[in-house]
Amino acid sequence: MTVDGRQVPAEADRARMRAERHAKLQHELAAQGLDGLLLLGTSAVTYATGAESPGCDSGRAALLRPVAVVVAGAEHPHLFTPYPEGVPAELPSDHLHPAVVPDLDDGAATLAGELRALFAGSSRLGCDEVPHAVARALGGVRLLPASGVLGPAKLCKTVDELACIRRAQRVNEQAMLDVRPLLRPGVTQTDLSARFLRRVVELGAEQIGIDPIWQPMPPSRADGPWTVHGDLAFPLPSAPRQLAEGDVVWVDTGIHVGGYASDFGRTWIVGDDPTPTPRQQAQFERWRNVVDAVLALCKPGVSALELGRAARAAEGGGRPWIEHFYLAHGVGTDSAEMPLIGTDLGDAFDETLVMAAGMVLVLEPVIWDDGAAGYRSEDIVAITDDGWMPLSDHPYDPFVAA
Amino acid sequence: MTTLAEPSRVDDVEVRADRRRRLFAAMAERHLDVLVLGRPAEVAFASGARQLWTAGSRPFGPACVAVRTTGHTHLLSVSDHDVPPEVVHDDLFGLSWNPANIAASLGRIPGLREARRVGTTSSTPGFPRLLAAVAPVAEVVDGSEAVWAARSPKSAAEVARITAAVAIAQAALAAMVDALRPGATERGLVAAYLEAIASVGAPTPPTEGVACATPSRGPVGLRRIATGAPIEAGQLVVLDPGGHYRGYEGGLGRTWVAGGAASDRQRALARRCRAALDAVLAACRAGATGGDLVAAWASCGEALPAVPLAHGVGLGVEPPIIGAGVGAASALGPDTVLAVTGWVAEEGVGGFLERDLVLVTEGDPRVLTTSGRGPAGNGA
Repeated sequence: MTVDGRQVPAEADRARMRAERHAKLQHELAAQGLDGLLLLGTSAVTYATGAESPGCDSGRAALLRPVAVVVAGAEHPHLFTPYPEGVPAELPSDHLHPAVVPDLDDGAATLAGELRALFAGSSRLGCDEVPHAVARALGGVRLLPASGVLGPAKLCKTVDELACIRRAQRVNEQAMLDVRPLLRPGVTQTDLSARFLRRVVELGAEQIGIDPIWQPMPPSRADGPWTVHGDLAFPLPSAPRQLAEGDVVWVDTGIHVGGYASDFGRTWIVGDDPTPTPRQQAQFERWRNVVDAVLALCKPGVSALELGRAARAAEGGGRPWIEHFYLAHGVGTDSAEMPLIGTDLGDAFDETLVMAAGMVLVLEPVIWDDGAAGYRSEDIVAITDDGWMPLSDHPYDPFVAA
Repeated sequence: MTTLAEPSRVDDVEVRADRRRRLFAAMAERHLDVLVLGRPAEVAFASGARQLWTAGSRPFGPACVAVRTTGHTHLLSVSDHDVPPEVVHDDLFGLSWNPANIAASLGRIPGLREARRVGTTSSTPGFPRLLAAVAPVAEVVDGSEAVWAARSPKSAAEVARITAAVAIAQAALAAMVDALRPGATERGLVAAYLEAIASVGAPTPPTEGVACATPSRGPVGLRRIATGAPIEAGQLVVLDPGGHYRGYEGGLGRTWVAGGAASDRQRALARRCRAALDAVLAACRAGATGGDLVAAWASCGEALPAVPLAHGVGLGVEPPIIGAGVGAASALGPDTVLAVTGWVAEEGVGGFLERDLVLVTEGDPRVLTTSGRGPAGNGA
């Protein structure tokens, strides 16, 4: 199994990964005719520079943010960061700058001065966010969406990126082996989070991505929260809420390794020795059928629309995913990124979204069986040169694959 | 520990009503008809809803729309779970991946189409076009000043929540101290920290950068990314945990010696840090500027660290940010809360950090972090 003719290594070569990502950004900058990129978002800075930073609350991550600047034609990106200890070894010292605070006027002015030194004259920059202070400080610079560069660059992963995703997923999955024995009547959602968070860090997680979700599903939609569309309310945040015998719990967690997200999803049942009812086991088998139907088609050249249709066909024509989500999403430096399959972008979009080697699919069909809750899990695969390869590997306990 | 009950839930009706009143008053003062909000903390402030926490900055997009002419706060939320009742079902709009559908959702918000002045707290290259489609006659302006004016001064109830978050951080500090011994690792301390905050029902960290073993030999820097290297006996170890209580952040920073008593030189370093930090804390009065805080630090003869000397705290990190090259002109407002960090380092000794939260008033500053200062800081 190869991706662009290469094997996915057991461990990522992170320096090679960074170099290949930089080359892709340069290629897309040239294709778009842009002079460079000004990147403020956490995941975009991670992608462009490979710099590490500690996981932070969103407000802190916005005000005290690392900033990346990519200059078209240059060999290395520039990085302004509060976390110099996370800077890759190959970044030249004159490309590493003290942190700026671009969301406040004095910080934005400092950043604008640096940008004027890097980009002579009027320039066209791709940008992912434009705080008002940056807009004021950068008068005269044309800011265009960075997505035209980042989107194509991120869409297909290199073999090292795939190794990072697989490693992140492995850490997430190993921690879950230590969490599931706690799933007994009376345990709280945050008790499960406590065990999980300790274990993932011990096992090598470099950042926490999301407050872990352990959501007990009501037997019927009508017993759950009101929703704008009448479909399920998922995912809901956790609290010190006790779980009860027989609760059907949808688990969803994400941690990062090497800047890459994992995405763990399973359905568990609370109990000392939980055994699915025949109806619950049938839900699982329907989920398995949907995944198998999609995987049977997975290879370069197949469209997202064809994959979505195969999933629906396996469920007798119904849509086996939640209305506000998707049958599958990609994962990378963002926990959900392209390719998205089955969203409200619509069939015309999905028809143009054609699978290619290096794309990652987090398959997360949902089987809902009103009156008896439902089954949801997530399995991750990468599209290879001639098919697909798994990036996740975790038992479905207490459900048993036929 | 009664103050720790239910740290992660929708806040009380009085707190929500007060925040909403402050937001709409700040909008009225600046003649803003509508505010479009995107940052999770400002969405929580305006709507009162508790939403799923994710790490890292969020891309800016319309997650909450406050309309002054109707008094309604419209929220991007698929369900009414943890959405307070004053945000009625008609004021919720769903998650969408399609810009046309986002525009359609926004287009249904009463008062937006007629709005003459719309504030946003940030933007993207594509956002002005989307906004022009749904608010065609509006002048779009910087709304962040209005939001910070509403958020920055804290009510007594908000200060109580920050204090409760400090208590969560103090419990986490105790867990980290328990885990600290020669041979332990920074990663092990982070693991103990995350387990501790989750065990009291508040699993979201303000930052995971909470442990730094400083070297006793060679150059000393403050690192926020944990390593797996074993900590040696006698190293000064920075423990800088935080916590959240109903979205409000608290925290404190202390420095411990791994496996033993502090040396004379370590105690001297601790005294230097404490003296400079106390000078800054004493300067935290309403009307003082960021420049005054920097001057207070410098008056003790210490170099200004790269880490910000002070930043605002509330629903997470807030302005001002005061430190090297930033915030000199920021004036401290009454009833704001600052996290003030002192950091001094010396080759051959290590680094010493202390962080306290302080309530700025017209009179004497009120330090909200009451925990002891650890063996090095206590001069033990």
